This record gives sequence, C-alpha cells and structure tokens, in this order.
Amino acid sequence: MLIHSITRGFLFALQSFWRNIWLSLATVFVVFLALVSVNFLIMINVITDSAVNAVKDRVDVSIYFKPEVKESKIAEVKTKLEGLPQVKEVIYKSPEENLAAFSERHINDQKIQETLKELSGNPMGATLVIKAKDIKDYPEIMRSLEDPAISDLIEEKNYDNNQLVIDRINLISDNIKKVMMIISLIFIIIAILIVFNTVRVAIFTHQNEISIMKLVGAGNWFIRFPLVFETILAGLLAVVALMLFLYPVLSFAQNYLTSFFAGASFDLIGYFNNNFIVIFGTEIVAVVIINSISAMVAISKYLNV
Amino acid sequence: MIHLDNVTKIFPPDTAALKSATIHIEPGEFVSIVGQSGSGKTTIVRLLIAEVQPDEGSINIGGWDITKIKQRQIPILRRQIGVVFQDFKLLPKKTVFENVAFALQVSGVPKSRIQTIVPQVLHIVDLTDKAGRYPQELSGGERQRVAIARALIHRPKVLLADEPTGNLDALNTKDIIELLLKINEFGTTVVMVTHNKDIVNSLKRRVITLDRGLVAQDQKVGKYVI
Repeated sequence: MLIHSITRGFLFALQSFWRNIWLSLATVFVVFLALVSVNFLIMINVITDSAVNAVKDRVDVSIYFKPEVKESKIAEVKTKLEGLPQVKEVIYKSPEENLAAFSERHINDQKIQETLKELSGNPMGATLVIKAKDIKDYPEIMRSLEDPAISDLIEEKNYDNNQLVIDRINLISDNIKKVMMIISLIFIIIAILIVFNTVRVAIFTHQNEISIMKLVGAGNWFIRFPLVFETILAGLLAVVALMLFLYPVLSFAQNYLTSFFAGASFDLIGYFNNNFIVIFGTEIVAVVIINSISAMVAISKYLNV
Repeated sequence: MIHLDNVTKIFPPDTAALKSATIHIEPGEFVSIVGQSGSGKTTIVRLLIAEVQPDEGSINIGGWDITKIKQRQIPILRRQIGVVFQDFKLLPKKTVFENVAFALQVSGVPKSRIQTIVPQVLHIVDLTDKAGRYPQELSGGERQRVAIARALIHRPKVLLADEPTGNLDALNTKDIIELLLKINEFGTTVVMVTHNKDIVNSLKRRVITLDRGLVAQDQKVGKYVI
C-alpha cells in the first residue's frame, strides 16, 4: 500500500511537471540562477585564494653565511631546516653563484664592478633560501636558527627586512578570507530566499488543485508528496543544468585569467573536478532540503480545506 | 441517513448562515434545498463535507457524528459522500479519465481495478468517447457529468449536489437532472441545493426551503415557493 502510494506520487509528480512544463522550466531556471551565483562565488574564492597563494609563494627568507663557513657545515644546517615540518623547500646557493648574481645585479654600477675586480678573493659566503609551507611559519623557522651552534655561522638574515611585508600579506590574506566568508554567507542567504519564494509561487499556482483534491477526499500526504517531489525534481534538473553550463564557463575563465595574470596558474577546472562530490553533492543535498521545506511550508497553507 | 439537529453556523464577524436548523433525510430520498442567495443552502453542503464546523448542534451522516470528526478522518468521510459543485471543481491538468480515477487513487485502489471501474462510470454519464479530453475541452454540461462520474465512483450512499445546474443552459440542465434522478433510482440519497424554480417544481419531490438561515418550509412533495 505504501509502495503503491509512493509510486503513484512519483508518477503524479512527473505528470504534473510535464503538463505544467512552462511553470516547471521557470522554477528550474530560477533555481539554476541561484546555483550559478553560488558557484560563481566559489570561483571567485578559488581565484582569490590562488592570487593570495601566488603572492605568498614569492616570499622567502635568505640566510647569509659567513665566508669562512665550510660547505659541510652549511649542508648540516640545510638538512636540519629541511627536517622542520614548516619548511617547504631549502635552496643552497654557493658563494660563486652569489658573487655572479651580485655582479649581474650591479652590472651598470661602475664603482661596484671596479671594487669587485680589485678584491683578491670572493668576499661572499654561501646562502640558504628558505620557503615555508605557510607564510605564518617563518617566525617559528627563524626561532630554530637561534641555536648558537647555527647563529654563530650566520652573517645576516633578511627576515627582519621582510617581516613587515610578510605581516602585511598575512593581514590582507586574513581580511580577504573574512570578506569572502561574509559575501558567501550573504549570497547563500539570498539564494535560499530566492529558491524559497520560487517554490512558494509554484505551489501557489497549484492552490486551486490542492483544494479540489482535498474536497475529493485526498489525504494531506497524498497531495503533499507529488508536489514536494515535483519541486525536488526541478531542483535536481537545475543542478544538472548548472553542471552543463559551468564547465564551459570554467574553461573560458581559466584561459582568460591565466593570460590576464601573466602566467599565474588558476586551475579552476581542476579545483571543481577534485571537489566535484563535495561541491555538487552539497548543492544537491541543499536543493533537496530547501525545496522540500519550501514546498511543505507553502502547501500547508492551502491544506486547510 | 442525514440528521442535522439544531445546527447553527455563524461566519465572522456575525453573519448567521444557519440558525438552529433541524433537517432529517431518510435513505433513498431525493431532496431539494432551496432558498435565496445567503439563505444558508451552500453552508449545509459545506457542513456535510466537514469543510466548516457548526457553532452549535450536531450533524450525523450515515451514523457518523461529523461534529466530532478528527482532522485526519475528514478525507475518509469525503470518500464516502459524492459531491457535485456548481463550478465543477475538476483538476484542469488531468484528463476526464484521470479526474474520475483520482477519486479512487486517493483511497489506494489498485490500477487494475481503476481501469475496470472508471470506464463503467464514464459509460453511465455518457462520456466514454471523451475520456482522454481535458476539462477545458468540454462543454459545461460535459464537465458537470465528469464531476458526477467522479462523485459516483465510490458508489456513495449520499450524493450532494451544490447548484449542479447553475452554470448550464436549459438542455444541459435537463440532462443533469435526469442523471441525478437515475442515480437516485439506484438507491443513492440525493441532496440538491438549487435556486432553479422550474427544476424544483418539475421534480415533485421533497423540498426544504431556507430563509435567512432558518428552515422555513419542509414539504414531502413540494414546490419552490419563495
């Protein structure tokens, strides 16, 4: 009996969806637009994250060793640093490389070029360039270098010069996250309200039918179930339409952004592919829940016949 | 079959649609309830299908005290009473067959049984060839016959007809009344609310006359007197 009623409910819903096709398509379209706005926001989040990470990735800290420090000692420090969980990468630059780079940097400065020629040996020591996994990890990494066994070998660190920039990038990044969270919340609330009202309008057009069904002796669930399922169906079709629409847009946006930001990598399609289940799964669940609740609330208004 | 005892219904703020009305209708009767607009005719139908509850008095239909009916029992009551409305109240997005079948589907009747019963009832109301049409593709008389078919599908003991000819021309009116008489001949109690003087006078059946919420007259073989 229950299975019989449920099957009948599904059939009624499909029949009603088809026979009210323009109303159904209008509902699908509005839910689709609400979903597009939410996914557009996800795209903005990914782009913002990528942009902030690209800036963060350019930040590193250099440790300049005294010229007399042997390469083996520096290798020991490098190994120790690489062992730290916060460190992403440590690059060794030999004194020769540093001298060549310095000379290259000041190639138009006559005085520096003459001074370098007059010097008998290489005045520069080796350098370790450290990249942290997170920009917030630099203070912790710097603390590990305070051990006298290491600090005595170091002539200079550029962390103090970079600290202001690092702090500012951290602050901007944190603020961007907060702003995006607030915008996301506002967008999601607006999307929910739009879907809620669309479903209410769709149910409103069934108002007369609902009262007739009641007068003919239909129970509340016999009326409610097909209408709720019909709105869920509209929501699911909106998600399918979203998927079909989104990927071409992502592909276009990715190419455009990569050329706009001069080679920076924005893997939007990769992000949506890697999080496919989370993004679209959450959207399907949300659409089912929001549409069901909206439909139930709207229908209950017309059931008192 | 139908017993209204001292029933009073007041609609807000203070419109008394029925005042201490007492009506007893026996099984198999054909009763016309007549009266001017606002006399309380339709209120009786609305009370009998539990669309509204009386403020005073009791209503018993087929042994069921519907003044004490629970909300979840209302659909069960309505499946046992056939109702025909002036504006037909057909589902616009369902065909003639589906409209009639719907009354069975709400009771969980299997598809195979529906496929047997609906054509039989459509045959009674002479709509077999219009089973696949939608209500908007039918004339007023045909729509009303669909509504009657839907009301009959459960083989109810009582058929309530609220101004069943109100939207019909003379020819269709005659058809519908003949159909209601035929249904009554099969043993169904028919209660018809109307203000059509010609119909009431031609029927020569029991007539209950309402006047401003009061039962003004109750004649075994009556006439439209207002």
